[in-house]
Amino acid sequence: MLEIKGLHASINGKEILKGIDISVKAGEVHAIMGPNGSGKSTLASVLAGRDTFEVTQGEVLFNGTNLLDLSPEERAREGLFLGFQYPVEIPGVSNVNFMKTAINEQRKFRNLPPVTAAEFLKMMREKMAVVEMDSSFSSRGVNVGFSGGEKKRNEIFQMAMLEPKLAILDETDSGLDIDALRIVAAGVNKLKRPDNAFVVITHYQRLLDYIIPDVVHVLYDGKIIKSEGKELALEVEKRGYDWLINA
Amino acid sequence: MTETKYTYTPEIPEVFRCRVPLPGTLQAFVNNGVLRENLTDERFALESGNGMGIDFKVAPGQKVEDTIQVISFRDSSDTSDINFESNVVFGRESSSSTLLCTHTLSLDKFKTDEIINIKAESGSNSHIVIMQNEHNESDHKFRINISLEESAFLRINFITLHGALLENEVVVNLNGKGASCELNGAYLMDGSQIIKTNIMMNHLVPECYSSQLFKGILDDSAKAYFSGRIVVAQDAQKTQAYQANHNLLISPSAKAYAQPQLEIYADDVKCSHGATSGRLDEMGLFYMRSRGISGAEAKLLQQLAFVYDVLEKIENQHLRDRLHDLVESRLRGEFGHCANCSMNCC
Repeated sequence: MLEIKGLHASINGKEILKGIDISVKAGEVHAIMGPNGSGKSTLASVLAGRDTFEVTQGEVLFNGTNLLDLSPEERAREGLFLGFQYPVEIPGVSNVNFMKTAINEQRKFRNLPPVTAAEFLKMMREKMAVVEMDSSFSSRGVNVGFSGGEKKRNEIFQMAMLEPKLAILDETDSGLDIDALRIVAAGVNKLKRPDNAFVVITHYQRLLDYIIPDVVHVLYDGKIIKSEGKELALEVEKRGYDWLINA
Repeated sequence: MTETKYTYTPEIPEVFRCRVPLPGTLQAFVNNGVLRENLTDERFALESGNGMGIDFKVAPGQKVEDTIQVISFRDSSDTSDINFESNVVFGRESSSSTLLCTHTLSLDKFKTDEIINIKAESGSNSHIVIMQNEHNESDHKFRINISLEESAFLRINFITLHGALLENEVVVNLNGKGASCELNGAYLMDGSQIIKTNIMMNHLVPECYSSQLFKGILDDSAKAYFSGRIVVAQDAQKTQAYQANHNLLISPSAKAYAQPQLEIYADDVKCSHGATSGRLDEMGLFYMRSRGISGAEAKLLQQLAFVYDVLEKIENQHLRDRLHDLVESRLRGEFGHCANCSMNCC
């Protein structure tokens, strides 16, 4: 589904990603771990198409399409989703209008008519239940006045609404208490299907108790220094990163 | 409800029809400064001033539920520079809601200089929305002098959509204890349009409240000037006075000039002022685009969000929704389709 080959990216001339190779297949969950400043969030941003980063080398294929040629909205319409580490507040745009706009823009791309009001409401209700979100959230401004946990739940809710093929979750667990973490993880597990895939970027093993990864990658200084099965996360939790960095 | 109104203004092009009169709206037309027909009932009197301008009085104690819409327009029947004065009195303990729309119907170069004197008597509660939608050759100056008596409340929301040079000069005298005045404005300027807002808020007695919130979106080489002065007299203890001016600059050549000024002679007051100018938020745009929303739509949503809190100050929900739609179509560039009219708001 996703093939990252020799990806290099920089910001203001400073190289952050120094040659990344990752291959994600449908039905898989990949975890990317690594110390602060190793390039995890940069990788997520580059994949989603944030143009403050410059890709200097390498290629990314998403279901055979060259992802790097596409704008962020085109990538989303192809079925890519980024769950933000710091979801943005948009006062004046209600959650419901935001989602309706997003869904209809994506439907337009697929030559589908705009979603009907009844269909949309049904969808909202179902997907809000996935993350145990109160219906009062739908009329509120996107993320405005939401707590850290509510913002992250809103990310998972949006993912549920948009039904992406590949979701990249950038530190969705940061700032969550244990209950919120469980809800977020349960949301991801409910949305997991044989034809979609997840890349979960995280600092801690904690989240991986709930979302079981097929592959764990350790990113350090812009490179993947180790890729293994789920037991790698446990080892990192026990021993830290130093043994990998100094290996 | 307005069908009959057109019969005595046959020269007004059909495009002028306000096809969406809001529920519970009474309309009066002012053509080149001259009121077409008086609008009067037991609750209020809206009459011609001295030839030009209007005299508008809301009777004491009356609660006027309808919105009184005054549609003031310039057209080719008089293209000279005009100036006129209007007088408004909101009677004791009255409440009312007024909508003033200004338009230009022909492509002539118009210059309009108008003075509005407003007296808000004790205990009155008055809401005014001034919607300015004029063409690229219109130079319109408002000089609004406001006097508020004890416990009077007056709110003016300026929604400025279009015009070559629009000047809104407001002098407020808070003369009675416990009076409140709110001035809000949203202006959307592009091309070489200029908006000047000049506010003098005089707190003369104790326990008055004032707030100013002006936000603008400036594109191309549009310019916005904001000058706001709050003066708190020595006696005016327990004053609360706030002022904010924020501008969103869409293009590199758009300019915003802000001059906030505070002059405080009392010692027990709460006052603040703030002025910012900024650009579209790259992170916010990326967030929306990452959900599949196009770059253009994301920019639009962000601009709408920017002026949202000013629009929220409009109390009447129908009017608020209507103006929200107008602001959206203005930002989408859907204005100015008609050769004779820059309004498209009807």
